[in-house]
Amino acid sequence: MKEKKVLTGRVGKYKPLDLEAYKALGGLQALARALAMGPESVIEEIKRAGLSGRGGAGFPTALKWASAAKVQSASGGPKYFICNADEGELGTFKDKVLLDGDPWAVLEGIVIAAYAIGAEQAYIYIKGEYEETAKLWDKLADEAKKAGLLGEGVLGSKFSVSLNVVRGRGPYIAGEEFALIASLEARRPMSRLKPPYPTEEGLFGKPTVVNNVETIANVPVILAGGAEEYRKLGVKDDPGTRLFSLSGDVKKPGVYEIEMGSGTLQELISELGQGTRNGRPIKAVQPGGGTSAFLGRDSLGCKLTAKAISKAGSSIGTAGVIVYQEGKSAVDIVKGLLKFYGAESCGRCAPCRIGVVRMKEIVDTLSRREGSADDLMQLRQIGKVSVAMATCGMGQAFPLPVLSALELFPKDFETLIQKVP
Amino acid sequence: MAKFKMQTYQNLVKDSGGATKENLFCLLGKVQDKFGYVPKEVVRDLAAKTGVAEARIYGALTSYGHFKVKLEA
Repeated sequence: MKEKKVLTGRVGKYKPLDLEAYKALGGLQALARALAMGPESVIEEIKRAGLSGRGGAGFPTALKWASAAKVQSASGGPKYFICNADEGELGTFKDKVLLDGDPWAVLEGIVIAAYAIGAEQAYIYIKGEYEETAKLWDKLADEAKKAGLLGEGVLGSKFSVSLNVVRGRGPYIAGEEFALIASLEARRPMSRLKPPYPTEEGLFGKPTVVNNVETIANVPVILAGGAEEYRKLGVKDDPGTRLFSLSGDVKKPGVYEIEMGSGTLQELISELGQGTRNGRPIKAVQPGGGTSAFLGRDSLGCKLTAKAISKAGSSIGTAGVIVYQEGKSAVDIVKGLLKFYGAESCGRCAPCRIGVVRMKEIVDTLSRREGSADDLMQLRQIGKVSVAMATCGMGQAFPLPVLSALELFPKDFETLIQKVP
Repeated sequence: MAKFKMQTYQNLVKDSGGATKENLFCLLGKVQDKFGYVPKEVVRDLAAKTGVAEARIYGALTSYGHFKVKLEA
């Protein structure tokens, strides 16, 4: 299995603030082409390329853009574009590679996206822990203004846009789009029910598009080479490449860019990751970040596409692949995950707020060897309720690893259950 | 970390083009980065300037792990 460097091709090839070097490597052609073809054609091109969101939900990008562009600001009100760089999902660190390594491409994508939907104000919301990245982006925004990429009349056109670099302040849930919007409004970061979607009522009640960094990095690639050229990458219903963050018990963790469908999960782990750390067999893998269901050893032959991974029983999510080798109890693994999600639940809705605490209590009881078979049933039920009833993606997803662990490794749980004398 | 002075804070506001609902989050962040916490006086002043209730600002601040409302020794 080989990497296919489409998005990460320029990473490390130029100094992050050097715009001239970026141009020499083919930069800004996409923006020039976009400004020449008009907003509708840009959205049409993205639609033909079949780009889907890379932040976890996998929503078609062009659809999002089109619905925000459609809302004609009859009142002349503003629209907003937000680049979500609050990469908080466990085992995911791909966006940082793009933000640090090829920031101009991300910026170019932001300007194109803002142009396509007609937003004059863009934001990039950078995870608080990425302080060095945020500092770089402060400087980058200044440089871009000087070069005429931001501000009045982008590259001599009639389109104007400004960019605010905003630092996140800690919470995991702020990566969820409504919570992110609430955060930018200086409110507590909480999700809410939809509809209305952010494209109708988003930041300050105005139409807003929120896109992940990797999604945005795809935009200049599509516009520079054209949708047909982009379609040659990957498979039919899942074109392009994806950045897989490989972590956990592997010899060589890191970010690997892989063409969709060009290999299997097993190949990613054993070839690029060079196998498990101690050479022990793999016990389980989370293919889409900390909230994705576990895949057992038997499922590792699945192709790296969104469809194949969901068919195997999990989801591609943020493509944060976490590997667990044999020798760990599934109970300990889910205990760690529940501890994290328990601390990060925003409290907006009961299934998640109460469910995550109860689930953690049960797992704690089990690991103290004080649990009963009834507890296992409870664990399943509470998890299923949150999956079905929670407001946002976090509440719907955090029980998935627990539920799948109960399916795949029932022995790990059962050995801890107290036998009735 | 600078010691809190009302004047330093006022300058921060001026450099950000005044305090509005739109830039409140960034402004609170700048105050946090400058002084290591967001003092009571700042919350009061920003509430008056932006029309957002003091309790709302305080409620938001205390829900973010990286914001402090007291100077920590």
